[in-house]
Amino acid sequence: MTTTMIEIDNLYKRFGDLEVLKGIDLSVSQGEVTVIMGPSGSGKSTLLRCINRLEEITSGTVTVDGYDVTDPETNINFVRTEAGMVFQQFNLFPHMTALGNVTLGPLKVRKMERGEAEKLGLDLLKKVGLSDKANVYPDHLSGGQKQRVAIARSLALKPKVMLFDEPTSALDPELVGEVLEVMKQLGREGMTMVVVTHEMNFAREVADRVIFMDEGIIIEEDAPEAIFSNPRHERTKSFLGKVI
Amino acid sequence: MGSGFDFKVSVMWESVPILLTGMKLTIIITVLGLVSGFILGTVFGLMKISRNLFFRKLGGFYVESIRGTPLMVQVMFIYFGLPLAIGMRVPPMLAGVTAIGVNSGAYIAEIVRGAFQSIERGQTEAGRSIGLTHLQTLYYVIWPQALKRMIPPLGNQFIISLKDTSLLVVVGVGELTRTGQEIIAANFRAFEVWLTVAVMYFVMTMSIAKVLNVIERKLEI
Ligand SMILES: Nc1ncnc2c1ncn2[C@@H]1O[C@H](COP(=O)(O)OP(=O)(O)OP(=O)(O)O)[C@@H](O)[C@H]1O
Ligand SMILES: [Mg+2]
Repeated sequence: MTTTMIEIDNLYKRFGDLEVLKGIDLSVSQGEVTVIMGPSGSGKSTLLRCINRLEEITSGTVTVDGYDVTDPETNINFVRTEAGMVFQQFNLFPHMTALGNVTLGPLKVRKMERGEAEKLGLDLLKKVGLSDKANVYPDHLSGGQKQRVAIARSLALKPKVMLFDEPTSALDPELVGEVLEVMKQLGREGMTMVVVTHEMNFAREVADRVIFMDEGIIIEEDAPEAIFSNPRHERTKSFLGKVI
Repeated sequence: MGSGFDFKVSVMWESVPILLTGMKLTIIITVLGLVSGFILGTVFGLMKISRNLFFRKLGGFYVESIRGTPLMVQVMFIYFGLPLAIGMRVPPMLAGVTAIGVNSGAYIAEIVRGAFQSIERGQTEAGRSIGLTHLQTLYYVIWPQALKRMIPPLGNQFIISLKDTSLLVVVGVGELTRTGQEIIAANFRAFEVWLTVAVMYFVMTMSIAKVLNVIERKLEI
């Protein structure tokens, strides 16, 4: 039995005259880890941001856990707690400690008691290996630590899906591993994840499928091993050639 | 000196106690005016970046009309003009605080707008992505960061408004400048008294600047 967590149907997205997504169909099952690759400007971030409606959708439908994201009746703030998002630039709140960042959602969105929220926050910081950084401000954290706090901040809402937009590409190479490790762990625990990344090893180890996008459409999708060793499309081939 | 000018330090010392009462009023008017100005500035500054066209226009109208006219005219209008329209005398003190509030509010609105717009878009997106509403994001995420960036320009406005209160001399509020004028009317020692008044303004503005410096260093702005 598989349940569908994300269902995207004929999604179009335009910025003014620029058509960025040109009819995307994608279905993600519960527990599935999907990696999205593709050249710069192909619309990967935009696709991700349409899932939690950080971008307004031009046409088509997107549902998350059965909630229609485009329906004005849908409480979008609720949907956003169901689909956590991790950004390339971390976007931690600089005026709050690591724990403050993680507990803001539980306190203000979930209306949790402070004690309960802090317990949850500390548990999550422990999970991402940052128990000792609870009271540290983002300015005093390394990039890898910031990104792990950002992951904990999203997890604090107990989302059913996690969206990652190039979570390691702003990091120094030696810090990439610690963030990927946390993400792999999440994947193994059964979290549904959609990850835009060019980390082949991550894709090989945890992805159920890799999607290759170019110019606003999905060019091909397959199991990681299959797509890496035997890409069918010319554009996938040349892109993978550059990345590897 | 040939013209018969003889400078007397004692006159300066003697005028200090009375001038201090004027200085107290200057500080009170400045603080009350700036508190009103901060509230007005926040409301109209946020209007200027609102998604609602009407609010944007309204915010723009307030800021432009105040910045485009002299403070002196605003003071006269509030004290002498407005009472005719509302059929009620406006007490000088209230007129003074209102003028400083309305005037600084326009400049503070620009400070608020600039500070909010300087916060990276990613902060709003991060706030919204954990399920905060638009208002919650403004309040918990953007506002505290913007406030910190507003401190230096607000301190600057504090100094400007403090000096501006001397224009209230025209409505007869007994602030520092007015007090100096009254002393001179009695003793004709314009040189010593205006010098003392100037020193007292200078001491106040320098103190604000110093305090501001300490705050900025503490907050690492
Ligand atoms: N807010 C926006 N307004 C106008 N154009 C935009 C906006 N956001 C993205 N675009 C454009 O949409 C296209 C796709 O952008 P997107 O960020 O989705 O690409 P991407 O695949 O994530 O690229 P990258 O690998 O560089 O992150 C680009 O041409 C970009 O310039
Ligand atoms: Mg991108």
